[in-house]
Amino acid sequence: MKITVAISGINAIDNPGPGTGIAKSLKESGLDVRTIGLAYDALEPGIYMDDVIDKSYIMPYPSGERESFIKRIAYIHSIEKLDVVISALDAELPIYMDIEKDLAKMGIKMLIPTKEMFKLRNKTELEKLAEEIGVKNPAYIACTSYPDLLAALNIVGYPCMVKGPFYEAFKANNLVEAELHFSKIANKWGYPIIVQKFIYGEEFDVIGCGSGNGEDLGIFAIRKMTTTSLGKVWNAVSIHNDELIDATKRMIAKLQWRGGLEFEALIENRTGDIYLLEINPRFPAWIYMASGCGINLPERMVKFLLNLDHESHSDYESGKMMIRYTAELVKDISEFEKITTNGELENRSKK
Amino acid sequence: MNVEKLTRLAISDNGFIFDPITGHSFTTNEIGIKIINLLKENKENEDILDELAEIYSVNENELDVDLMDFIHNLKNFSLV
Repeated sequence: MKITVAISGINAIDNPGPGTGIAKSLKESGLDVRTIGLAYDALEPGIYMDDVIDKSYIMPYPSGERESFIKRIAYIHSIEKLDVVISALDAELPIYMDIEKDLAKMGIKMLIPTKEMFKLRNKTELEKLAEEIGVKNPAYIACTSYPDLLAALNIVGYPCMVKGPFYEAFKANNLVEAELHFSKIANKWGYPIIVQKFIYGEEFDVIGCGSGNGEDLGIFAIRKMTTTSLGKVWNAVSIHNDELIDATKRMIAKLQWRGGLEFEALIENRTGDIYLLEINPRFPAWIYMASGCGINLPERMVKFLLNLDHESHSDYESGKMMIRYTAELVKDISEFEKITTNGELENRSKK
Repeated sequence: MNVEKLTRLAISDNGFIFDPITGHSFTTNEIGIKIINLLKENKENEDILDELAEIYSVNENELDVDLMDFIHNLKNFSLV
């Protein structure tokens, strides 16, 4: 059975989206799948990656009109007969939550959180959630203005973390650095901006996929070995930390989570306490690592949505490493021309 | 000394050590592996020194200092 899955976030750049990792996971699964890339820019690398994306379409920005977004998906559906859409970007989730029922009427399935779930994992709500699932949350203050920032810094002190509403987090050692990060984030992502106590420890990530009834389709944990200047995982090693995995399961059960997620945590050096830093409501850019270790969550998500038999175990080996690398593709300008002028590009796989 | 964490370590013959819970990795030598294995058997420091002295020709004081230094490193890495 040929399955067609549309995937967003195919911007495999220095701040990579998860889309190409999701598509690669699907291509290497047991599914006979056609992958459709949903891009917001003609230079998103996934558009040109023949081996993982079969065809790409330019989408209207999710912050625009709801109707034009639906219209574009309806157009793509009229050509591709989409079975599933996997949304992989935080900023577009609100519109997908709005139109999920419209897509369902067209026969397109999605596994994404509800607005209520989305709200409960907001950075400003994490303290309560952390308490409910038995972990800690670093003290933080949400700021919506410069005076708020100054007041927050007086309370939190230095060093601290300055975090955007959707993306980016920076460590600030003094007022000058805090102001710089605050302005940069505000200009790029808007408010609220979180000023958070800095905890000395190590960062770990856990990913999973919730089925919406409190159960999960699999869990996978890593320790970040190296990160980029933007804080993105560059090298990682798989681990089996039962406390982290159990905390993620409790979070999925507590929120009855629907869809992919990334549970970002820090274990304090001094106490060994787990601090919940963030819950990203989608698969992370390193999703392929889990697939490579036998926990193929995109495959499981698609199978779950299409009522196909799927695995839900979390049995994988610790000590598997992910080595991320940079690569170059050489393409003819005519491909750029097609995606720019037509808004779509069919790839011809080299396989 | 709590040696519970040592029991979970994956240790290869060439001295590469991997902690599957924290994801940390370390390297040690043949003597390091021997000491870790003896600690895992809950041997006291005196017993470890006796066993090492039988294998390696080194004076007792030097061996004692080296053992304390090694255990200090294990503590620094939160392995004991």
